[in-house]
Amino acid sequence: MAEISQGTIEQAIQTTAETVLRNELYFCDLDGLAGDGDFGNSLATGFRAIKNEWDGIDKSNIGAMLLKISMIVSKNVGGSSGPIWGTGFMKAAMLTRGKRAVTLPELTDMVGAAIEGIQARGGAQRGDKTLLDALLPIHETLQKHCEAGDTDLGAALKDCAEAADKAVDETRNLVAHRGRASQVGERSANTPDPGIVAIATILQDWCKHHGVERTPTAPEVAKATA
Amino acid sequence: MKKFVNDPAQFVPEFMQGIADANPDLLSFTPEFQMITRKSGPSNSKVSVVQGSGSGHEPAHVMAVGPGLLTGACQGAVFAAPPVDACYETIKACASDAGTLVLVNNYQGDRMSWDMACEMAEAEGIKLKQFIINDDVAVKDSTWTVGRRGVAGNFFVIKCCGAAAEAGQDLDAVYAIADKVNNNVRTMGVALTSCIPPAKGTPIFDIGDDEMEVGVGIHGEPGRRREKITNADAIADELFDAVAQDIPFNSGDRVAIMVNGLGGTPITELYVLYARVHDRAEKAGYKIVRNYVGEYCTSLEMAGASVTILRLDDELEKLLAAPAESAARIF
Repeated sequence: MAEISQGTIEQAIQTTAETVLRNELYFCDLDGLAGDGDFGNSLATGFRAIKNEWDGIDKSNIGAMLLKISMIVSKNVGGSSGPIWGTGFMKAAMLTRGKRAVTLPELTDMVGAAIEGIQARGGAQRGDKTLLDALLPIHETLQKHCEAGDTDLGAALKDCAEAADKAVDETRNLVAHRGRASQVGERSANTPDPGIVAIATILQDWCKHHGVERTPTAPEVAKATA
Repeated sequence: MKKFVNDPAQFVPEFMQGIADANPDLLSFTPEFQMITRKSGPSNSKVSVVQGSGSGHEPAHVMAVGPGLLTGACQGAVFAAPPVDACYETIKACASDAGTLVLVNNYQGDRMSWDMACEMAEAEGIKLKQFIINDDVAVKDSTWTVGRRGVAGNFFVIKCCGAAAEAGQDLDAVYAIADKVNNNVRTMGVALTSCIPPAKGTPIFDIGDDEMEVGVGIHGEPGRRREKITNADAIADELFDAVAQDIPFNSGDRVAIMVNGLGGTPITELYVLYARVHDRAEKAGYKIVRNYVGEYCTSLEMAGASVTILRLDDELEKLLAAPAESAARIF
């Protein structure tokens, strides 16, 4: 079975940092439509810290590395996004203690554990217009690939990016039920959730980095990856 | 702003360094995690008790580290929860074979940080239990919490759990004591002035010269209402009634009473309040077994006070009377 090496995961984190830093202002603009306009900045502060501390992060195995990243994210990402994103990394870290590589089914379990942790921490459910609306279809996509015995990472990434893009479009008209955007009620409809856009953008950039050709369908993702 | 501050960003590590320097035989300071632990370290035959919250409430929480009290504590910035890594490292530094009780005051930021730190520590095989303190009767929810806030009653939880741990009780027993104290302690506070976090440089809220905030939180968050200031007895009555009616306390109850200063009120004024609270408690038929008048949980230089009443039984009475030592030296 094809394995995903620690190096690939390190690369994905560095790519994510580039994605987030490049879109600092754009994600703030998106957040400003219904939230308090700080999402891009909060996320960028966290990933800037990851970049700055990168050389000092314990990379003896995937779990140790993700645990340290979880702490940096929790500490540096502002507002509720810090503990929520941090919890995602922490749960993935717990499944990868001592591991130097993971299989696609193991990666799928990491995403599943991250989702469970995020749900427990923030209390959000599917349809609340949060990043879970992107993560849940990504997890289901990964599960389908595993069930089909298709362990090619590139093919899985492409379908996951597809699923996340779809989530941006499908949730655009929902009313937010969690976070700051929930306080503006109906005003949050017709604006995409910046967390969902961020996940879809990160996936698109991972595809690109992995040499997977695809064109984003959601206009926000196209703009964020242009 | 007139304060003894160098670089506002260094305010917390600098005062912590001072506490450590002043107590070289008692405390160890780890600047990286803004953590203070007992110099003697944890004992594997005794449960460790740890806590951590925002700064600005001293002597809570790092000054409550010492034999018979906390094993270790960490601080966030002023009025900000400690980061996850600080909480995690505090749990690790204090880990004991007998287990660790993590005492968390009910604020969203504190709870998120400690929840994560506890999960990480448990995944590493560290035995622990977490307990949430919420003794404030003023408001059901505040801008900082979901549910009641943890305020000065925290001291009684620390004191009783610390004493039980010192006596060699096991983790479940020490947890049960935290639960018993929290179920029998109630607090309400009032603010006469605001306070100025050094890094902010301006008051956290505006209040008129003739106004008071009844039911204020220890971060200056709003309480029950803003009203014209009355006299000490009327204020003491308002706090006493709110606390006494909440559980409620009953005639014949043995109690410990605390009048806690919020940082900017002289001890004399606290005793003026205490005299009235004492009188009211006696008239209500409570037997006052112990009293605490002074600063236990503050809000920087805020003028104000809180009243806490704890209902005692033989067990809690014994735990409160047990010896303890801390940098605060207020026993």
